[in-house]
Amino acid sequence: MPRALAYHRPDSVDAVVGLLAGTDHLALAGGTVLNADDDPTPVTMVDLQACGLDGITEADGRLRLGAMATLEDLVDDGRVPSGLSDAARAELPSTLRTLATVGGTVVSGGPDSVLLAALIVHDARVDVVGPEGAATTPLADLLTAGVPPGHVATAVDVDPAGDCVRHATGRTPADAPIVSATARTTTDGVRLALTGVADHPVPADPTDPTAGLAPTGDFRGSADYRLRLAEVLATRAVAESGEVR
Amino acid sequence: MEITLELNGAPRTVECAPHETLLTVLRREGMVSVRFGSTSGETGASAVLLDGRLASSEVVLAAQADGHSVTTVESLNVDSDLHPVQAAFAATGAMQSGYSVGAMVLGTLALLERDPDPDEEAIRDMLSGILDRETAYVKPVAAIQQAAAVLRGEEAEPFRPLLVTPMTDGVHAVDHDPADPPPTGSPAIPRVVPSRDVPSTSVVGHPEVKVDALRLVKGNPAFTDDFEMRGLLHAKVLRSPHAHARILSIDDSAARALPGVHAVIHHGNVARVKYASGGQSYPNPKPHDQVSFDDKVRHVGDRVAAVAAETVEIAQQACSLIEVEYEVLPAVFDEVEAISGDAPVIHDEDDTADIADASRNLVHHMVAERGDVEAALASADHRYEQTFRVHQVQQCPIEPHISVAWLDSDERLVVRTATQVPFHTRRMLAPLVGRDIKDIRIIKPRIGGGFGVKQEMLLEDVVAHLAITTRRPVRLELTREEEFASSRTRHPQTMTYRTGVDGDGTLVAQDMKLIGNTGPFGTHGYTVQTVAGLRGLTSYNAPNKRFDCEVAYTNIPVPGAYRGYGAPQALFGLESHMEDIAADLGIDPIEFRRQNWTKTGDEMNIAPHLGEQGVLEEELDEYPKVMSDGIEECVAQGARAIGWHRRDDRSWREPADRPHVRRGIGYAHAMHGTAIPFLDMGGCSIKLNDDGSFNMLVGATDLGTGADTVLGQIAAEVLGVPLDDIRVYSSDTDMTPFDTGAYASSTTYISGTAALRAAEVVRKRLKERAAMLLGIDVPCSIELRDRRAYAPDGRSVSLEEIALDSLHLNEQEQIMGTGSHVSPDCPPPFGATFVEVEVDLETGQVTVGHMVMAVDCGVAINPVTASGQVEGGLLQALGYAHCEEFALDEDGRMLNAAFGPYWIYRADEMPRTDVFLVQTMEDSGPFGAKAVAEIPKDGVAPAIRNALVNAVGVRIDQLPFTPERVFDALQKG
Repeated sequence: MPRALAYHRPDSVDAVVGLLAGTDHLALAGGTVLNADDDPTPVTMVDLQACGLDGITEADGRLRLGAMATLEDLVDDGRVPSGLSDAARAELPSTLRTLATVGGTVVSGGPDSVLLAALIVHDARVDVVGPEGAATTPLADLLTAGVPPGHVATAVDVDPAGDCVRHATGRTPADAPIVSATARTTTDGVRLALTGVADHPVPADPTDPTAGLAPTGDFRGSADYRLRLAEVLATRAVAESGEVR
Repeated sequence: MEITLELNGAPRTVECAPHETLLTVLRREGMVSVRFGSTSGETGASAVLLDGRLASSEVVLAAQADGHSVTTVESLNVDSDLHPVQAAFAATGAMQSGYSVGAMVLGTLALLERDPDPDEEAIRDMLSGILDRETAYVKPVAAIQQAAAVLRGEEAEPFRPLLVTPMTDGVHAVDHDPADPPPTGSPAIPRVVPSRDVPSTSVVGHPEVKVDALRLVKGNPAFTDDFEMRGLLHAKVLRSPHAHARILSIDDSAARALPGVHAVIHHGNVARVKYASGGQSYPNPKPHDQVSFDDKVRHVGDRVAAVAAETVEIAQQACSLIEVEYEVLPAVFDEVEAISGDAPVIHDEDDTADIADASRNLVHHMVAERGDVEAALASADHRYEQTFRVHQVQQCPIEPHISVAWLDSDERLVVRTATQVPFHTRRMLAPLVGRDIKDIRIIKPRIGGGFGVKQEMLLEDVVAHLAITTRRPVRLELTREEEFASSRTRHPQTMTYRTGVDGDGTLVAQDMKLIGNTGPFGTHGYTVQTVAGLRGLTSYNAPNKRFDCEVAYTNIPVPGAYRGYGAPQALFGLESHMEDIAADLGIDPIEFRRQNWTKTGDEMNIAPHLGEQGVLEEELDEYPKVMSDGIEECVAQGARAIGWHRRDDRSWREPADRPHVRRGIGYAHAMHGTAIPFLDMGGCSIKLNDDGSFNMLVGATDLGTGADTVLGQIAAEVLGVPLDDIRVYSSDTDMTPFDTGAYASSTTYISGTAALRAAEVVRKRLKERAAMLLGIDVPCSIELRDRRAYAPDGRSVSLEEIALDSLHLNEQEQIMGTGSHVSPDCPPPFGATFVEVEVDLETGQVTVGHMVMAVDCGVAINPVTASGQVEGGLLQALGYAHCEEFALDEDGRMLNAAFGPYWIYRADEMPRTDVFLVQTMEDSGPFGAKAVAEIPKDGVAPAIRNALVNAVGVRIDQLPFTPERVFDALQKG
């Protein structure tokens, strides 16, 4: 892991942002990514656990997931739509999802994150606080731009209406999918998101799911194969999401 | 910094550094049940309850846990009794090595707290974060169900084998009646198909609880890293970033100058002594092509230097300060390319003897032939040729390699180490450190899984050199990444079968040409490939057989011993080949095999020609024969359990509600071996104690397999006592008799017979002393049972009375016995493996729905541990076939040296696994036993491959069956 030379546990978001201005200060959420990193670079850890970012609340018809809500919280909370809850369960196994957080997933979730895909189709917006104040950004945009240094994601709010379905191909049933397609049908139409076809999960056009995609192949699947999977799985997910709606 | 935890219900304030993990701090505080699996936490061995939730403590900073509640298994150990959850894990055989059982027990507590009656899905979800290479999760699920029932106040079902009525007469095949249902019930219950030939016994054949259950399930100190050493230093190894390079210079001055560093060793200051790291019998197979530290590196992850320092972090930092100048050389990874004559030369040094042709990376070329294969092929009615490629995978024990070395008060070198071969290690280590064997002691504590990867002297020379240099205890533990890239793996191979078949379906010739990839070092390269030939050419009778094998050096991470040892590779080729021949001939695939398979009375006609010490060229007067087989019963039970008839049912194979799915069922036949004849040897000693109990010392190396238990059961049966009266200790080169170690499916058969013999010596003397006490002239008329010696007239004396008399009262003596065993025989276990799959036509994804294996392992001394061996073997075999694969980049760097990218099966995705133990009486084995540990590895890959043929008609001759490979095959039709 990055070698923590110091550890802080501030009790407010303002204090977090103040600390993150310091050189080599990193925001620490659950730790499943940061503490597993074997980079020996010295850092100062700024633990987010005490600044009130946990919890799941309902407001204005939307569901607000605190950045420090764990994936297990999403699994356990009956207000979380079942497709989103399933995605949280699929994201990590039992011993890690009790630690990993919604905010940590937003900041460091990789190209295969089925939870991020599920959040995208639930119209997730992310609250990010930095030295200049707070801003809300659609998750899909934030994944492209990244959370800037010195900033911290504080919450993700989603539209809980409807439910999403996921179709995926992996080496085994529980493996992180090579490609997955998550679809949710609402009164506004179908939302679709894909994993395994870009640097991060991306929204896709349900009528032309592979438009503009240029995936990178790896040992689990070539670029061409990933495009093929995206087509097949998106078609299935969109069709099923229409049925479950 | 100072933190306060509520640790197991009581506040505890501890000092820690900001970077230290909760795992590190808990272990320092004595909570050794919390164990390391990988720095990224996905093995779950380190899981604790953090505020009541199961969480891997490797990815939690201790500082994060400040102010929180932490619970470990030690919280349950309030007295000598087991908590009901612990008791259930012990009773159901849910622990093999027990390395991760603490996490499983804690997860169960948390689960049952939320839901006292969880369904199987919830149980498997809880276990999803605790990887297990041993049990296939079958018995842990049963343990949790049993614990839940007990905690709900229900009566626990006794965990007894289910006796299944035989379907055959043991010789003749039966037609499977689809209306005849297989036995129902939990797959965790061992299903035993009894044989009339097997006599009744009191301890042998019974599901005894493992003798090490208490120490494991309580998380007591048991493993290499669980014992504290004063003044311990920590070692790290600097590893090569290049697949092939010459070391031009090493400057270690900055590393040595770093405060806290005690030693830096490399080729410049360690004697150049040639050896082969494979843990094998004396003399180790050649070539001896390794040295502790070389001036050349031959794979990414190869050793360059090692450091001993006050902390792991300082040692790591010191490694980064060692300046190494490399001349990077071209590398080669493919075995065929490596021996083409046009590849870089990997062993160009002048001090390695016995390489067949170093200039073209050819380590060995062996040819063994019986009859005249070419002539027989030329005259056969049908000739078939098929080439297969098998890939590189890893054993993946959850406990990585770890060794601790120190000088004892007599300044002898002691190494406590996670090894399968303590005695070989002692002998092999001696010349490397310039010491006599008598001045070295190797202690094997509990081992967190081995599967062959620990049949290797991998760390012991490094910690020994450092301990001798620093005169301090030195510990070295591999990271998970090092375990992948720098320990040992399964040999990739390219193999071509040619088979000649007569018009009636009888095999007349079988030829196997093999090119084995042994990576940069020979280690097990010779023996794994010969076993591939042995197993790949013994399953079927053919008068003409030939094995032609080349073994190639390459620059891949080093292959070595992996459970199955060449057989899984060979049987993937063979069983796929036989399937396709049957299809071409229009014969039922099982019937075609049956027509040709080697059975009781048949010669194993290539076996003596392929030994560990060389190829035998002359014909023998007599060849070893199969003396027992239960294959017909295995096939019958397995076919019924899988529903074999459905493979011909189109409506099942093509489910109407899922048009993109096809289903299929495949079969593979397996015949393995039991130990290495004339070579594997085990020793045992047993002594009587005052209370009529016995201490039993064995050199055999229990890796979690249950060997100590099985050997104890054999002795208990002979001595007429319950297993609890036998205290088993293994294995320690100062204390216990010699044993070659845990490999080649040898322990029950070889070490078990040693235990039997030692017990017989003790029994004889017990009878003589009983006769004296009872005033009887004929000691042999006395029987030992129920802790007593009975005269024919019914009078008896207790073993305790005999012990007190012999130790204290009359003509005092220590009643004890020793026994050892080496076998001229290698009786084959047989197995029938059936697998059901689904294939997604549009994506190529294969989903394995059900695996059944029926095994003839002779008499299972302990049906629970034996069925556990099969279950774990099936899990690893499934990974081999389906999802596990080393991915190297073009420079030989491993792209997936972590669990996740390298995928091993989890609890929440394992298919149902049914195991049948088909009894036969193998007269050469102790109480009729043959081997069981390796044969489960043999059949899964070809059975899946053959199920794919059944489902979609494509024949894929390369492993593993990953989605894109299957998709490509579907596209090609």
